[in-house]
Amino acid sequence: MAVDEPSVARSEKHWAIAMVAVSTVLLSSIVYAAVGMHLRPPSNNVETIDPATLHVSGEFVEDNLGTSVDSKGNVTIRVVTAQFAFQPACVVVPQDTPVTLRLASPDVIHGIIVVGTNVNTMVVPGYVSQVRTRFHQLGEQLMPCHEFCGLGHSQMLAHVRVVPKADFKPDAERRVTCAAK
Amino acid sequence: MDDHAPIANLSASNDDADISGDPRLRPAPRGAFALAGVTVGLLVAAWLAVYFLLFLTRGPVG
Repeated sequence: MAVDEPSVARSEKHWAIAMVAVSTVLLSSIVYAAVGMHLRPPSNNVETIDPATLHVSGEFVEDNLGTSVDSKGNVTIRVVTAQFAFQPACVVVPQDTPVTLRLASPDVIHGIIVVGTNVNTMVVPGYVSQVRTRFHQLGEQLMPCHEFCGLGHSQMLAHVRVVPKADFKPDAERRVTCAAK
Repeated sequence: MDDHAPIANLSASNDDADISGDPRLRPAPRGAFALAGVTVGLLVAAWLAVYFLLFLTRGPVG
């Protein structure tokens, strides 16, 4: 059986066209989501912070951690991820409301993922990790560290408590904590 | 037969040979494109399903 070179070339051309079509479909889907739905990876925000002093001054001091609501009603959650705990270990967010998570690490690289959502980012010392999203599902959702950070990594987890908007009531200091009911 | 026989020479000597009658080449692969097409199709379909039905429905992050 002789090798039919034109036939082979034709087959390869058809396969190449199919692969270009597949790549175009996949890339178009990603561009559509990025442009049409404003879906961008957390890395689009590059903001530096001094990991050695973040607990002493600035927005990540202990009193300022957790969920806060500013005068315009914007909900911001600030969390420090450190070996081997989240501070705070539980945060409250209102359902179907735009929220901004801001995280920083004073020691090593950590990472967070909120189960059942697209919230997923690394927390690198020296940088503030920021994720904007909405939580749709009511209830307590697990937020573990997903970047191996040391021997206690498997014990490092936190919870996101999603409550109905009506139950999300900031206190006098415009803060909401898991302890408050 | 020497295990280290000069294979290159053997190939070279067959360059102009007519191999159409070689029985080892008769059972040529058939359906390779169909198999590759179905495999790639399933892979792309799975990717699109996860992307549109799972990832995007969870809402945007940014």
